[in-house]
Amino acid sequence: MKRGLFAAALAGLAIFLTAGTVFLSTGETVPSEIITVREGDAERGAYVARMSGCIACHTNEAAGGALLAGGPPLQTQFGTFFGPNITPDKPHGLGNWTLDDFARALRLGISPNGKPYYPAFPFGFYTKLTDQDVADLWAAFQTVPGIPSPSKPQEISFPFNQRWTLRGWKRLFFNPGVFQPQPGESDLWNRGKYIVTGPAHCGACHTPRNPLGGRNAEQALHGAGELPGNERSPQITAEALREKGWTETNLAFGLRFGTKPNGDVVGGSMGEVVRDGTSWLTDEDLEAIAHYLLNNPKQD
Amino acid sequence: MHKTAKRNVGYLIGGTLAIMAATSLAHAHGGATGIVKERMDLMASVGKSMKTITEMFQGTKPYDAEQVRAAARFIGTHGGEQTTKLFPEGSINGPSEALPAIWQDWDKFSKLADDLSVYARALADAADNPRGAGMGAARRGGGLSSGGSPMGRSNPMMGSASGSPMNDPAVLATMAPNAAFARLTQTCSACHTQFRKKQ
Repeated sequence: MKRGLFAAALAGLAIFLTAGTVFLSTGETVPSEIITVREGDAERGAYVARMSGCIACHTNEAAGGALLAGGPPLQTQFGTFFGPNITPDKPHGLGNWTLDDFARALRLGISPNGKPYYPAFPFGFYTKLTDQDVADLWAAFQTVPGIPSPSKPQEISFPFNQRWTLRGWKRLFFNPGVFQPQPGESDLWNRGKYIVTGPAHCGACHTPRNPLGGRNAEQALHGAGELPGNERSPQITAEALREKGWTETNLAFGLRFGTKPNGDVVGGSMGEVVRDGTSWLTDEDLEAIAHYLLNNPKQD
Repeated sequence: MHKTAKRNVGYLIGGTLAIMAATSLAHAHGGATGIVKERMDLMASVGKSMKTITEMFQGTKPYDAEQVRAAARFIGTHGGEQTTKLFPEGSINGPSEALPAIWQDWDKFSKLADDLSVYARALADAADNPRGAGMGAARRGGGLSSGGSPMGRSNPMMGSASGSPMNDPAVLATMAPNAAFARLTQTCSACHTQFRKKQ
C-alpha cells in the first residue's frame, strides 16, 4: 500500500513539475471586461455568500474569529491552507480591490497582481457565478466590518508551494466560464444545476480527484476519499441517492434540517455544510438542488 | 430416558439456547458489546422516533400531533444523563463511533445531551400548535427576512441562534412545532458533527 502511494506521489510530482514547466511562459489571457453588471444588492449577496460557503472557509468560528477575517486550517495532502482575510480592510483584506479584481478572482482564479490561486479556493466552481451574483457578493462583502489582521500564510510543502506551477495545473484542470443553462430542461432543473455545479460547489467534496488534485470529471459526484481530516464523502449521483431512499421531498428537507431517510441526522463535514450553508437557502432553491441531483443522468 | 436425565437435558438445551440468544442480542451493531452497544441501541431508538417525526414534518406522512408528541416525549426521556452515563471516560473500543473529543470537551457534549431532552420536550409541548406553511416556516438560519439589514449586528452572512428566542424551550413550546423540530435537529447534528466519527 505504502509503495503504491509513494509511486503515485512520485508520478504526481513528475507530472506536476512537467506541467508547470511547459506552461510557465504561457501567460494567462485576462479579458479587460470581466463583469458587465456593476450594481449589486448586499442582501442578495449575503444569500449568495451563504450558498457559496464563503463564511465557512474565511471565518474561524471555532476560535471566535471575526466574520470573513480569516478561516480555520484546511488540511489536504498538498499542505494546510488558511482562507485569507477578505474583509474590506485596506492593507490586510480586500480594501484596495475593485469589483473587477473580485470578479477575476472568482472567475479566473487570479489575484489583482496576476498570481494564480490554489484550487483550495474553489474558483473552478465559482467561475460559473452569474454577473449579478458576483456583483451582489461584492456589495455584501462591503458591509462586513474591516478587520486589520493579516491573513495566515499557507503552509504548503515543496513542490506545491511553487505557485507558478498552478498555471500548468489550471491549463490541465480548470474550465473557466459562466454557467450556461441547458436548453430543453426546466427552470427548476437549471437552477439546481447552477447551484450544485457553481456556488454550492458540491463536487469539491463529492467528486474524486487524481493525485494532482484535479477533479475526475467522469466520476462527478461519485464520492471521494482522502478529504481533509481523513473523511470520505458519499456518492450523490441520482441512482446512488435513490438506492439510499432519497426522494426530492426528503432531500430538500434533509438539506435544511440534516435529516436522513433512515432517521439519522448528518454529522461530520456535511453537518457543517447544512449548518452554515444549505439550511439558509430558500425552499425553492433546496427543491431545485434536490430536483437536479435526482434527475442528473449525465453527471457533469 | 430416566426422568432426571430428561430434565437435565432439557436444562442443558434450554440453557444453551438462552445463552446463544443473549449472546446474539449482545453482539448486534457490528459486534458491539456492553456500554458501546447500549448507547448504539439508544441512538437507534432515538433515530426511529426521529424518522417518525421527520416524515410528518416533511409531509411524507400525514401529520398526527399525538404521534409527534409520543415520539418527542420518547426522545426527551433519552437525553441528558441517560445519554451521558453511557459514555464513561475513554470508552472507545471496537465498533464505537464516539470521538475522543467527547471527553476533551465534556461540557459541550453534556450540554448537547441536555439540549436533546429540552428541545424534544419543547416539541412535544408544541405538537398541537398550528404548523407553519412550507419548510421555510422553520428555516434554521433565518434567511433574509429575519435579522435586520446586512449592516446590522445580525448580518445575514453571519448570525447564529445563540441567545435568541429560538433557544428558549418555553417560547418554542408556544410556536409552530416546526421551530422546535428545527432546534432539535440542530442539536442532533451539532453533536454528530463534533463528537461522532466522520464517515
